[in-house]
Amino acid sequence: MIDYNALLYDPVYAELGVSAMLTTTAGVFDITVIDDTRAKAQTSNSVEVRSVGPGAFARVPELTSKGIDRADYTNSMLSFNKRMWVVRSFELRGSPNGEDFGEVRFLLRSSDA
Amino acid sequence: MLDVRENILARLVAIVATMPSIKEVFRNNVDLTEDQLPAAAVLDGDEETNDHTDASMRPANRPTLATMTPEIIIFKIAPQVGPDISTLRRELVKAVLYDTQLNEQIVKTGRFGNGAIRYLGCQTDLGWERSMFGALKANFLFKYVLRPNDL
Repeated sequence: MIDYNALLYDPVYAELGVSAMLTTTAGVFDITVIDDTRAKAQTSNSVEVRSVGPGAFARVPELTSKGIDRADYTNSMLSFNKRMWVVRSFELRGSPNGEDFGEVRFLLRSSDA
Repeated sequence: MLDVRENILARLVAIVATMPSIKEVFRNNVDLTEDQLPAAAVLDGDEETNDHTDASMRPANRPTLATMTPEIIIFKIAPQVGPDISTLRRELVKAVLYDTQLNEQIVKTGRFGNGAIRYLGCQTDLGWERSMFGALKANFLFKYVLRPNDL
């Protein structure tokens, strides 16, 4: 069976990943994430307001190996690339090896107030 | 030249600009960025007369009553956008309905003429951007005399 973590995710994260600090109720963890902040626009009537939709990918096996439970994701603090965010939600990106060996995309919001 | 419709729209921009919580006001700008928020956009509204029912011998250039329904949209990005949008709505509705210049000199409501200003209601729009995004579109109706001779 193909090990997608060894052959795909790990090399990709080694190139594109950045160091991040995830602070949950269980503690503070150093992890690697890929910045996935994207342009985002909201349209009200005909008026478009442009901003960003901050996000970051992480590997589920890395989080699991460090004792970070899925229940701890939401409302944790994620710091990377000199910005601090709050995980407002997340979506799992399964791999052919199963969701426990795939990625999670953290959906972030500003940590202001 | 006296264009009541344009005078109303210009006055709406000026009124919204006095709201303390609004950073910038735009007229018919449909492309904003988060750095400009909290912002408001005054959008020119449709204008209608009831003259399609008037097939009389009345000369074409006689005054008639017109109604215009402009829209004012206010935008904000904030962690707790709900109460903030409510505050902006409260300020906006009160500022428009109580504006002396609009009531007495432009639309001529009450004892100043047969014009009218009505708040028709609002619609909200929510979403996630960098933080919670909220928009509120307030609809107003203005009834005024359209005098072709003044245009």
